[in-house]
Amino acid sequence: MKEINISLKVNGKQYDLSVRPNMTLLEVIRDELKLTGTKESCGMGECGACTVIMNGRTVDSCLVLAPQADGAEITTIEGIGEKGLHPVQKAFIDEWAIQCGYCTPGMVMSTVYLLDKNPKPTEDEIKEGLSGNLCRCTGYAKIIKAVQKASKMMQ
Amino acid sequence: MDLKYVGKDIPRVDAYEKVTGTTKYMSDLSFDGMLWGKVLRSIHPHALIKSIDTSKAKALPGVEAVVTWEDVPGLNGFGIAIQDQPVLCKDKVRYAGDAVAAVAAVSKEIAEEAALLIEVEYEVLPVVDDPIRAIEPDSPKVHESGNILLHTEIRKGDIDKGFDEADLIIENTYYASRQEHAFLETEDGIALIEEDGTLTVYAGSHYPHRDQLQLSRCLNMPVEKIRVVSSPVGGAFGGKDELTIQPIMALLALKTGKPVKMVMPREESIISYWKRHPMIMIYRTGVKRDGTLVANDVKVYADTGAYASLGGPILNLALESSCGLYRIPHVHIDGYSVYTNNGISGAFRGFGVPQVTFAMESQMDIIAEKLGLDPIEFRRKNILKKGEVAPIGHHITTDVESEAVLDAMEGSRLWRERERYRGTDKNRPWIKRGVGLALSWQGMGLGVGLPDFGDAVIEMDPDGGFIVRVGCVEIGQGAMTVYAQVAAEALRFPIERIRVVIGDTRNAPDAGPTTASRAAYVGGKAIFLAAEEMNEKIKGYASGMLSVSPDEIEIDDGSAYVKTAKDKRVSYEEISSYAIERGGLPVAEGHFDLPTADKAIEGAFGLPHHIYSCCGQIAAVEVNTLTGQARVTDGAVVVDAGTVINQGGLEGQSEGGFVMGTGYALTEDLIIENGVVKTPNFSTYIIPTSKDMPSSIETIPVTNYESTGPFGAKGIGEIGMVPTAPAVTNAIYDAADIRVFKIPATGERIYELLKQKKGENK
Repeated sequence: MKEINISLKVNGKQYDLSVRPNMTLLEVIRDELKLTGTKESCGMGECGACTVIMNGRTVDSCLVLAPQADGAEITTIEGIGEKGLHPVQKAFIDEWAIQCGYCTPGMVMSTVYLLDKNPKPTEDEIKEGLSGNLCRCTGYAKIIKAVQKASKMMQ
Repeated sequence: MDLKYVGKDIPRVDAYEKVTGTTKYMSDLSFDGMLWGKVLRSIHPHALIKSIDTSKAKALPGVEAVVTWEDVPGLNGFGIAIQDQPVLCKDKVRYAGDAVAAVAAVSKEIAEEAALLIEVEYEVLPVVDDPIRAIEPDSPKVHESGNILLHTEIRKGDIDKGFDEADLIIENTYYASRQEHAFLETEDGIALIEEDGTLTVYAGSHYPHRDQLQLSRCLNMPVEKIRVVSSPVGGAFGGKDELTIQPIMALLALKTGKPVKMVMPREESIISYWKRHPMIMIYRTGVKRDGTLVANDVKVYADTGAYASLGGPILNLALESSCGLYRIPHVHIDGYSVYTNNGISGAFRGFGVPQVTFAMESQMDIIAEKLGLDPIEFRRKNILKKGEVAPIGHHITTDVESEAVLDAMEGSRLWRERERYRGTDKNRPWIKRGVGLALSWQGMGLGVGLPDFGDAVIEMDPDGGFIVRVGCVEIGQGAMTVYAQVAAEALRFPIERIRVVIGDTRNAPDAGPTTASRAAYVGGKAIFLAAEEMNEKIKGYASGMLSVSPDEIEIDDGSAYVKTAKDKRVSYEEISSYAIERGGLPVAEGHFDLPTADKAIEGAFGLPHHIYSCCGQIAAVEVNTLTGQARVTDGAVVVDAGTVINQGGLEGQSEGGFVMGTGYALTEDLIIENGVVKTPNFSTYIIPTSKDMPSSIETIPVTNYESTGPFGAKGIGEIGMVPTAPAVTNAIYDAADIRVFKIPATGERIYELLKQKKGENK
């Protein structure tokens, strides 16, 4: 398959890559850039484990083809806490909102986006905002508490 | 005792890495020159293999190896209890998903393409898909030995006499679905050959030392030549207890001499690997008018699928708990674990007990209602206490806090205020609301007759800190944090300077499987014992350094001092330098044998257990009578936990268990029709999302000190989801006056039940 050139900015750093056109953004992030914090779990947009922020919006990076990300600005879990932990990360630690941790990066990214758009979400808005991110360990209760805590910390 | 770390608000020791995405799961590893592996699986649920032709696959550029059964150097069979599952099938496939061949290639795409070029000629056989039908002598056979993997029959008292004494007999048949673990990390990992010829297998699992043993059998390699690293794991819940992809990755690595990586796509993971056993349960329960249980006749058919794995032990654990935690004089329990072509069933949180608890606790609810008894009072009347005879005939000799759990359920906010959660919703009259409860118990540990131990090693660092090594794994439950807390407490040493190494056959001693709610309990106790030995060694060094006898030394917070002269002290840094000068840093070992029953139950291998956990749950539900959809709005979890080592961890397990249990009660159904999986993804197999969770789940621990556990702790990992389904279905009855005999209680099923009820009332 003929490769194509794309350039994208990930966590503030510019990358010029030659990729197969059927490659997903998730594969670019994990396999090419070796940023393994973003996880693959379902590979078809059902679980949210691969959530990243692309041009200011959360996307399932498994559903974005690499060519669609040409020229895009991407933030992954590695890019949100460059000056120490992001308040969302800190709140997840404090509230025990983590168990196996495999959903955590995607969950954190969705929370960062949610609080960016809606700094004081209600409980129902939090549940709605995270409903695309599956977690099998925690039962979500502590994750919701962590989002509420992060919201307070960021005010 | 004045505790500094146990029971304190300690954050997870692995939280920073997990929240920053820096934790390296096995799927995150990569090595130079790495190949990608792909498995060719049977599309037929039951067929003979006539021929396998790999020539076209081998000829594809980029393919480095194609393996079939001929390449398995040792036993072409694995299984924790019985090794009847081929690594790669030779002459027969027994489920759609059975592994037939595998490819290693330079890219994922080439590996996938090559797998499709392997030509397998099959002769299709009739599908065995009904466990009751499968027992009949004329049924087609999944295995030559017949379709019954295990038949266990237990009798106590005289069942006929029991029913003669009964004033009320309730008979029902219950069905529990096949549940998918749905861990977020699928089966994945890497196998590679080290420079010294050692095979290293990185793959998440519950028990690296047993994986090592099983791989040794299959590969005909000594265990010393195999290293297994199986932690951290992105969720497991029992689904990574048995081997999955490890032997196939290992074969490909041995064949190519290169690292081989595999990551199961979600659909392949769901189709090919372990599930909770579906069960058909026929219950006949006799009770006196005053609410005294007198007889229980239980018949269980468990669909174990194509291979044995833990199907036998799961059946027996289910049977042990099948009559609930109640005093019943006359009991007959008859259980079958049956081979079919319905995928493969194996370990899953609760290990057979959620199924029978659904049946028994539904029976209890029906009886209480018929006799006009309060459901807690009725249970209290029959509850089994320490010293009494359990339904399968052994004496309960350890503390099981059954009465305290019932008391706490009764005192919980949700139960006290239950009237607020009942009745028709005023603003939405089509919403009917109700509250239900259920009680459960489950044996901890592996059971009688099985080796059940844990080893731990504590080493002093050159800088005076400690490394704690224990072979259990971190599957998300928080074992590493518990280990750090127990070590810090027992060593009386700052937790920040303790490093925990787990889940690696080379770097941590065998502590048994991270299953059966035993990791915190057994691993923690082994660490506690190692710490005691380490403390003695430290006192020995300090006595030499301070020229007093060891008895006069006290230790605390990283230094050792003379009891009567506290300013005469040495730091652990000084002790470590002193020890190095005298031949080496101190190392201490702890070994703990999990206490087991002194007498076995005849004809029921592994039974009885010795230590039990107990959990009661209350659920409030809303039933939408227009759509049939039910949702859980509130929950309470009372759990016999012993000493709570970490409240955050306990709540995490309890909330996670409760929500997993609501999924089991309401939506989760891995449907297999004619041997083919119909729900292989999260659009068709529905697990709870954040929008499905209740608005509150209260966790209420009963904290009686468990004398055998570390600082009095008991295991709680599994039982948190065991009573959820019947608590929810009993609440559905309370809400909408319909009995659910088949879980999950999906919208369609509830709608049908409501329609039937309407018809009956006409």
